[in-house]
Amino acid sequence: MKVIISVMFLFFAMTVFGQKGTEEIKIKTTAECNSCKERIEGKLNYTKGIRFAELDVPTKVLTVSYSPSKISLKEIKELVAGIGYDADEVKAEKKAYNALPECCKVGGM
Amino acid sequence: MKYILLFFVLWIQFNSTAQVRGVVFGSDTTKQNKLYGARIETTVSKIQLRTDEEGRFEFILPKELPDTLIFSARGYISDTLILDIDDRFSNFKIVLYSALLLPEVIASYKKDSKSVSKLKTLLVEEISSDELRKAACCNLSESFETNASVDVSMSDAVSGAKQIQMMGLSGVYTQIQFENIPYLRGLESAFGLNSIPGTWVNAIQITKGTGSVVNGYESMAGLINLDLHKPFETDQFFMNGYVNHFGRSELNVHTGIQLSEKWSTSIFAHGSTLNNSIDQNKDGFKDVPTGYNSAIFNRWHYQGDKMEAQFGVNAYVDEKLGGQTGFRSFEPGINGKYGVMNHTESINLFAKTGFFFKGKPYRSIGILYNAKYQTTNAQFGLRKFNGLEKRGYINAIYDDIIGSTIHKTRVGLSATAVQFEQQQDSLSDDRLELVPGAFGEYTYTGVRFINVLGARLDYHNLFGPVFSPRVHSKYTLTELTDLRFTAGRGWRVPNYMIDNLSLLATGRQWVSPLEIKPEISWNIGGSFVQEFKLIKKKASLVVDYYYTYFENQLIVDRDVNLNQIVFRNLSNNSYSNSLQAELSLSPLKVLDVRFAYKYLDVKAIYNNDLQTKVMVPNHRGFVNIAYKSRNKRWMVDFTTSVFGSSRLPITELPDLSVTTINRSEIYPMISAQITHVYKRFDFYIGGENLGNYTQKSPIIDAQNPFSTTFDATRVWAPIVGTMIYGGFRFTIPHVEDEN
Repeated sequence: MKVIISVMFLFFAMTVFGQKGTEEIKIKTTAECNSCKERIEGKLNYTKGIRFAELDVPTKVLTVSYSPSKISLKEIKELVAGIGYDADEVKAEKKAYNALPECCKVGGM
Repeated sequence: MKYILLFFVLWIQFNSTAQVRGVVFGSDTTKQNKLYGARIETTVSKIQLRTDEEGRFEFILPKELPDTLIFSARGYISDTLILDIDDRFSNFKIVLYSALLLPEVIASYKKDSKSVSKLKTLLVEEISSDELRKAACCNLSESFETNASVDVSMSDAVSGAKQIQMMGLSGVYTQIQFENIPYLRGLESAFGLNSIPGTWVNAIQITKGTGSVVNGYESMAGLINLDLHKPFETDQFFMNGYVNHFGRSELNVHTGIQLSEKWSTSIFAHGSTLNNSIDQNKDGFKDVPTGYNSAIFNRWHYQGDKMEAQFGVNAYVDEKLGGQTGFRSFEPGINGKYGVMNHTESINLFAKTGFFFKGKPYRSIGILYNAKYQTTNAQFGLRKFNGLEKRGYINAIYDDIIGSTIHKTRVGLSATAVQFEQQQDSLSDDRLELVPGAFGEYTYTGVRFINVLGARLDYHNLFGPVFSPRVHSKYTLTELTDLRFTAGRGWRVPNYMIDNLSLLATGRQWVSPLEIKPEISWNIGGSFVQEFKLIKKKASLVVDYYYTYFENQLIVDRDVNLNQIVFRNLSNNSYSNSLQAELSLSPLKVLDVRFAYKYLDVKAIYNNDLQTKVMVPNHRGFVNIAYKSRNKRWMVDFTTSVFGSSRLPITELPDLSVTTINRSEIYPMISAQITHVYKRFDFYIGGENLGNYTQKSPIIDAQNPFSTTFDATRVWAPIVGTMIYGGFRFTIPHVEDEN
């Protein structure tokens, strides 16, 4: 029992301290659907320096919490563009965009 | 008038071609209106469409099911819905909530890992693979830890067998099926769930009360449907390794291969073993039996334009060795130790074919086939059981509508042929059962009211005709409140030996029933589902109550005298009341909390008195806390269950006095698991029974296992203390067609 409590404490402590020196930004994307959400979050959440990435499908806004010492905002936007979506001023990479399934393209039909 | 007529004609046309249809509403705090241009898409079949001016949508049911429907509209929180074959004529009402309702929360779609389907007529609880991952161990009978509807109990202190219960009634009254094919029947109905590894399962659907007549007559207390990973969606490669600190190790390997556009196949292989003898309580008996289990499952799927077919094979070998630690062999005189052995081999063949009618998607013919061969040889000390089962089953279902999809019908024929050979020492129970049957089901789907009337008539070669009528209704009171009602009759033919195999782990003599008669029960119940917002977060409350009444039951009477266990038929004097409440909340975005409570009142006439059934706790409750980090890479799960007291059988002690404490203690069970997800790898570590609660001497007269006072069946709590485990999963995911 003591073990669990200490493990859980450690764990939450980690999450709390993990927030030190991180920044949260919102990026407007051209994501259309839940499949886009999986694509973007799946890529970003496994990228070094990013604490979490969450896409809100209705507003197309991607919230990213990251540590600027490890990854720059520009690099994050380029990552998103590399998957095939616009990220604010950074336009989607043509090749990646063309490879997206129909539903994920702009207009989405 | 002309217009009305035209409208009707159009509407019927609309109904006959549109298979999935509905209306999407947008809702803010004050009003609801039909949403024009809301987006609807499916994840598997990639259907995309938008609603019309009236908020309506319709499309032909995709071929690959289940599929996920996603509803989204600008300014509204997206919602999703799992679409499966049962929804083919559904008329959905989808309500999307305004994003303005939750201004500070960036709404993200979250799939509940355990959810109650709001759309089904029956109260169906769904346990998804997310939920199954919460308890990494091991086979299906152990995966109901975080589910209040199904209880898992150890049946004796020596064989390691675990059995499920629903409504306080033994697992044999719950029909188990695999994607609608009746499965784990006969000799497997008591312990079959042990043979299915948790990693094979995509989702489990639990229906309380009698199920649809289409699936047979045997669902008396409930129906558990196992939804395994389909060939066309199985990961290309999946491997799972597990080890616990007692030395149990387990390996699962899956592979799914898309052979062509139409053909796909999957193979699942499982092996587990425990070689260490553990005896924590120093009673000379292994606390956990050693042994091994290997299982393989191969399935092929064909998807054509006019037909869909699948077939496959599942085979397993399970061997468990328990008993005294120095036990080597059953040969008399080798070392005089008490041993327990259970060796089961089973092979199952199954096939499913579905035929569609061009231009009439509401019409289809489905045929299910199943053949099985199983042997079980068990021994408890000097007491032996040998069982053999050969089974063949076929079920043909024809789906159609009357006029429009408001009135749907399903009719069909089924036939079962099964041969049993069972011997327990000098007792024997051999039977050939031939059971042809016919069934019909009518579904009325109104806007708020759905009613399913079904009945089946089966002719049993030994017992004559048996009639099973059933009713299921659902009424949508408000968009957030559902009421359901169910009533029905079910029956089964008991196999008293294998159903109660664990009761061989005692010195008490068995008294066989005078005759084998079908067990027949009526179940009636209702449920109430309310969704609401609590501190602006989604929450739900489910309350249900079920009453089961046996016209005839083969009861196990341990109260007649101290030296015998009496099996006998009991008419009209056995019942169960089950009341359950479950509250789910998400106090934080990353946190899900679930509270559940269940009250059970299970009674029957034992030794001429109406008494509570032994080994059934009257109260049970649990709290489950699940944390998932915002980047979805850390998951922590924590569950505390409390089991109430249960009546224990009065037993003779070694000094020939009788037990005076005949109720069990109230005890907690705590488990926790932490999972960390990498791109291809998941790692998990967890513990069970973290409160380290064990039953003090679970075996009575453990020193003299061959005496009449030996009894290993009075077990109501864990025998082993805290268990720590760890494991990994490695996945190369299924490649989706990216057109």
